[in-house]
Amino acid sequence: MRNKLAIISLALVILPGVCVPLFAHHGNAAYDTTKTVTLKGTVTEYTWANPHVFLKVDAKDDSGNTSHWVIEAQSTVTQNAAGWSRTTFKAGDEVTLDVIPIKNGSPIGRFKGRIVINGTVFKAGAQPAPGQ
Amino acid sequence: MRRRLALLAVTLFVGWMLSPMLRAQTAPAQAAAGQAEPEKWNNVPPRKSTYAGKKSDPAPRRDLSGIWDGATSAGNGLEDQGAPAMPEDGKPEHQIPFTPLGLEKFKLTKPSNGPRQSELGEINDPLYMCDPMGFPRLELFELRTIEIAQTAKQVIYLNEYYGQWRIIWTDGRELPKDPDPRWNGYSVGQWVDDYTFVVQTVGMKEATWLDNVGRPHSDALRVEERFHRVDHDNMELSMTIDDPKMYTKPWLALDKYPLRLQSDDFDMPEYLCAPSEMGDYNSQIGNRGGLPTSPNNK
Repeated sequence: MRNKLAIISLALVILPGVCVPLFAHHGNAAYDTTKTVTLKGTVTEYTWANPHVFLKVDAKDDSGNTSHWVIEAQSTVTQNAAGWSRTTFKAGDEVTLDVIPIKNGSPIGRFKGRIVINGTVFKAGAQPAPGQ
Repeated sequence: MRRRLALLAVTLFVGWMLSPMLRAQTAPAQAAAGQAEPEKWNNVPPRKSTYAGKKSDPAPRRDLSGIWDGATSAGNGLEDQGAPAMPEDGKPEHQIPFTPLGLEKFKLTKPSNGPRQSELGEINDPLYMCDPMGFPRLELFELRTIEIAQTAKQVIYLNEYYGQWRIIWTDGRELPKDPDPRWNGYSVGQWVDDYTFVVQTVGMKEATWLDNVGRPHSDALRVEERFHRVDHDNMELSMTIDDPKMYTKPWLALDKYPLRLQSDDFDMPEYLCAPSEMGDYNSQIGNRGGLPTSPNNK
């Protein structure tokens, strides 16, 4: 009984994430897709442009050292489809992000999924097409 | 007693896990902060499953007009494996009939992703310099939405990804004999029956790739498209590549590729490649991360 409840509660956590199509991404080879890095810090800049929407974050590690990270998403079209806009982030926001880091060790990453903005979990959502 | 406590603990746990979702800003709420009436602008087509079982009215005669979604294909409209009817998958039926010159030119193209993904330092996909997609690549790669309008003498064709447009002349003119190449070539079209529109295109610039895996073409390329209006909501697009310098025989690049009609309220998003934005991306991310859009990786 306990196991069933645990499984159900786990499923309820995972399933509601809206399925945004996984777009094949150029530059896959440059990222270490086996790793996840969790960043906690402050947004310094948010760029809503092509080829990629990207976010700059000053992230502090456990020792209190700051690194200047840049995290990329996909195109404005793709991000818009996932419910993002040019005001999803702003400078000064406190964020917690899961990112896939770049292989060459620079503080560069790609959004992996989990995004918390000023304490609120950001849920990507697909906007409905007209006439639906 | 212990069982009840365990049940209570799990219930509280589930409730705690669910509460962030209930509190979280949903997309419409966030959109209200940044955009007015988000559902009216920058639309995306619905998921494929939405169309299942939907009945359509009969096809209108001699009419291609509307906004069409290419994302119901097996490749979701993205087609990074190459021309959908001839993907680069190693299967014998998908062997491209290269001439020796065609094979030579094919080896020189170094894609950034897909089955022929190249080393970062070698990638030379011209799209990363913000070159136009050109025709037929705009139909064989990232076919997301297109918009078609008809006038008495023309079919006007607008393409979302990289923002290309083409004019297909229906006034009976002949194709040019020795044209100065254009990125999208020169097109003429005619109805062969009330529901099938056939287009011929010549004069395409050699610099463009046919598809995302880098199949080449020469100035001898002639592309035939067949748009077949199946019913009111559905169209099928077939395309033949005929380039005797590169290929020993014509081959099918699209085979009844499904296009799905959207509402006439559908606002196509804009995706333009701007060299200034590409440069900004490269200086912040591309160059530092060794990503293929970086000119350092030519």
